[in-house]
Amino acid sequence: MTFEPGNRVRVRASEKPGHVRTPEYLRGKTGRVESVLGEFPNPEDLAYGLSGRPERLLYKVSFRQTDLWNDYEGPGDDRLYADVYEHWLEPDEGETT
Amino acid sequence: MAGVHDLGGSSGGPIDRSQHETEDWERLADAITIALDKKGIKTTDQHRRALESLDNYRELAYYERWVAATEKLLVEKGILTSKEIDQRSAEVARRWSGTR
Amino acid sequence: MSEAHGHPHHEAGAGQTISPYAHRIRAIEALLVERNVLTEPEVQDQIAYMESRSPENGAKLVARAWVDPEFKTRLLSDTKTAAQELGIDASGPVEFVVVENTPRVHNLIVCTLCSCYPRAILGRPPDWYKSFNYRSRAVKEPRAVMREFGFEPPEDVEVVVHDSTADVRYMVLPIRPPGTESLSEEELAALVTRDSLIGVSAPRFAGS
Repeated sequence: MTFEPGNRVRVRASEKPGHVRTPEYLRGKTGRVESVLGEFPNPEDLAYGLSGRPERLLYKVSFRQTDLWNDYEGPGDDRLYADVYEHWLEPDEGETT
Repeated sequence: MAGVHDLGGSSGGPIDRSQHETEDWERLADAITIALDKKGIKTTDQHRRALESLDNYRELAYYERWVAATEKLLVEKGILTSKEIDQRSAEVARRWSGTR
Repeated sequence: MSEAHGHPHHEAGAGQTISPYAHRIRAIEALLVERNVLTEPEVQDQIAYMESRSPENGAKLVARAWVDPEFKTRLLSDTKTAAQELGIDASGPVEFVVVENTPRVHNLIVCTLCSCYPRAILGRPPDWYKSFNYRSRAVKEPRAVMREFGFEPPEDVEVVVHDSTADVRYMVLPIRPPGTESLSEEELAALVTRDSLIGVSAPRFAGS
């Protein structure tokens, strides 16, 4: 699944064991694709000595802090960016921003 | 269930802003880890995976974790054994005055 | 110095014993060299590589970007190549991205999963950056964290946190302090602190 800047995406709520680079605090959260960072070998495979191919698209995704934390202390415009691999993202068709 | 290393959003206390003098053994730990990476003997991703698998992750200091992870990978790859590292460490400890 | 919550460490300091891991890494080094897995020069070269990198590199990049708008554009679009222009070798598999502070946006960098940092440019990160408390709190309460560093952006400035979760390393391009029009590039670089390159605080003011 490929995405473009501006697409709304949700981070999969997967509980995949082993080495992953998608932090727990992002799982199940909705954000917006900011940019495409390129293609890289999959770190989840590289961690175990596998080739990590085919390469995966890496996206810079922005999240509203008030969407990530119930008790966020700060204005609603504050954001967080994380670099998330394509296989951790799914499209989000929700109405809320 | 977040891994032991997956700290984003966990509760935490005030940030200790003091800086300790980097010790020679820490420079060595840093250099050996990266040198092994540059030679293709282990990779950053393998190193991270090894770090994350440490039972005592929360108890060890930063470079202590690096040494433990590097050892784990060297043993996993059959390059060294823990026993010989134990033996040599004991010799080092005996010979050395233990400063830095 | 403790990184873990309330757990003492065995690091050498006044009256403390050295970490057992110090012996272990020396043992590992000796064994690896004996087995020709690594050579002594390779280890020494890597030590030298790390020692030659420091926040001064970041300060130089920032100062040049402040005085030269075209360099700034290059720094923001292709950091590695721009760094090379100033003799800073950041080559390697890792990507670097510089994020710009503006009057509307203040950036803060963290790596919650391990402590990724633009080492090839700035050298080793400070202890606090690697601490569990920073890794835990920077994503969730960035403004409180910055307050601990004595810095408080106004409420109408958006705080943007970058969690370096993949193979991109981030560095902040801070705002040029006011009243610095007459300063030389070298004098400007002296205002750029390491902490301002991470985003927990702002550069020094001229004359401070």
